[in-house]
Amino acid sequence: MSPKIQEVADLVAKGKAKLVGPAVQAAIDEGCDPTEILNGGMIDAMAIVGEKFKNNEIFVPEMLVAARAMKKGVEVLKPHLSAGSTGAMGKLIIATVAGDLHDIGKNLVAMMIESAGFEVIDLGVDVPIEKVIECYKANPDTKIVCLSALLTTTMPSLKDTVAALNESDFRSNIKIMVGGAPITQEFADEIGADGYSEDAASAATLAKELVK
Amino acid sequence: MIIIGEKINGSIPSMAKAIAERNEEHIKDIAKKQAEAGATFIDVCASVSEDVEVETLKWMIDLVQSVTDLPISVDSPSSDVLKEAYKFCNKPGVINSVSMEGDKIDILFPIVAENPGWEVVALLCDDTGIPQSAEHRLRVFDAIMEKAKEYNIDPSRIHIDPLVEMLCTSEDGIAMNEEVISTIRAKYPTIHITAAISNISFNLPVRKLVNLGFTVLAMKAGLDCGILDPLNRDMMGLIYATEALLGLDDYCMEYIGAYRGGLIGPIKE
Repeated sequence: MSPKIQEVADLVAKGKAKLVGPAVQAAIDEGCDPTEILNGGMIDAMAIVGEKFKNNEIFVPEMLVAARAMKKGVEVLKPHLSAGSTGAMGKLIIATVAGDLHDIGKNLVAMMIESAGFEVIDLGVDVPIEKVIECYKANPDTKIVCLSALLTTTMPSLKDTVAALNESDFRSNIKIMVGGAPITQEFADEIGADGYSEDAASAATLAKELVK
Repeated sequence: MIIIGEKINGSIPSMAKAIAERNEEHIKDIAKKQAEAGATFIDVCASVSEDVEVETLKWMIDLVQSVTDLPISVDSPSSDVLKEAYKFCNKPGVINSVSMEGDKIDILFPIVAENPGWEVVALLCDDTGIPQSAEHRLRVFDAIMEKAKEYNIDPSRIHIDPLVEMLCTSEDGIAMNEEVISTIRAKYPTIHITAAISNISFNLPVRKLVNLGFTVLAMKAGLDCGILDPLNRDMMGLIYATEALLGLDDYCMEYIGAYRGGLIGPIKE
C-alpha cells in the first residue's frame, strides 16, 4: 500500500477526523487511485477497527470516532469517485421494529456497515412492517434488510416483520439480518432470518459475507 | 435520596436464569439483601415474553413480599401487563413505567389516580422515539404533566425519568440530562426525578467511576431517586455523602447514622 494511503488508514483508525481530509487530499495529489484510497485507506481500516472492538481491545467511542473520521475522508474523496462507489457493496435497509424505540445499537450497526462500503437506508425506530416493505419497493436493488429489537416484548414484532418479508415475492432478492440485546442465533434461525450478529463490528462482517 | 433496588430484573443474565429455573431462594435472597442495604423500593422486572409475563411477575412479587415489607416497583414495558400485575402488591408501590407512547398513559394514569399511595415512573419519550434534545424531552414532560392534571395525580406521586443514555455516544457529556433535570426540579419542587444510573457507563471501562460521577452531578441538578444496586456500598456511601454536601442532611446525621448502621464504609469484621 502506498505510504500516503497507509497514512489515511492510520488516521482513520485513530479517529483523527481533522487530519484525515488533508491526508486524503495528499494521497489524491500524489496520484493514488481514489478507489484504492477508499478501500485500503478507509474500508479496510474500519474492518481492522471492527476486529479490535470484537476482541475487546477498543471501546464503542473509539469505533465511533474512527467511523466519523472515515466520513470526513469520504467527503474529500467523493468528487473523485464514480457515482455509487462509496456504496459499492450494495444497498441495505436498517430499522428498529415496530413498538421499539431503542436506536443507539442500531445506529452503531448502520455506521459500521456504511464504513464497510454499503449504502445504508436507516428507517429509524418503531418502524411498521409496511414501511419496511414500502422502502424495499422504492429501492428494489436492496440486498440486505437489517432488523433490530432491544426488548423481549418486541421480539414478537421482530418475528412478525421477518415473517412478512419471508412471505413476500421479493424474498429471494434479499438477505435478512437481525440483532439486539435479547436476540440469539437460535431465535434468528427460528424466525427464518439469514443471519444474526451480536455487535456492530460483527454485523459489518456478516453483511459482507451475505452479499458474496 | 429514594433508592429503587434494581437487582430483580430478568435482563440481568443471572436473574434470568433464576427466573427460568424458578429458583425461589435466589430471588428471596436478593430481595432481602437489597432491603437490608437500605432500598426504599424493590424493583421487580420479569423480562419474559408477554404471554407469560403477568404470571411470572406474580410469582416474583409473591417471593419478594415473603421476605420484606418494602413497597414494590412493578416494572414492565407493557401497560397491559402493568394494569394486572400491580394488583399482586400488598401495599402501594410504583408503576414502572408510563410514557407518552401510544395509550400507555391513558391506561395507567387512571389506575394511579384510583389507588391512593401508588406512585408512577414516567419516561420522557413519545411515539417519535427517544427525543434527541432537552427541549423535546421537556415538551414530552409538559404533555405528561397535562395528563397528570387531567387525572388529578399530584406531582409528588410522579417519578420523571429523563432517559439516561450511554455517555460514550454523547458529544457534550450529560448537558442534556442536566438541563432537563434542573428545569423540571425548578418547576415542580415536589416531583421525583429518577434515573437508571448504570446506563450512563455502558460500554466504557471501569464503569463504576462513571456511575459514581454521574450520580453526584445528577443529584446536584435535582435527581432525588435512583434505580441502582443498593448492595454497592461505594454508591450508597457516595449518595449519603452527596446529600450531606448538598445541605439535605442536618449536621450530617443521616450520613453518620448510615455509617453506624454498617451501610457505608468498610465492612466491620
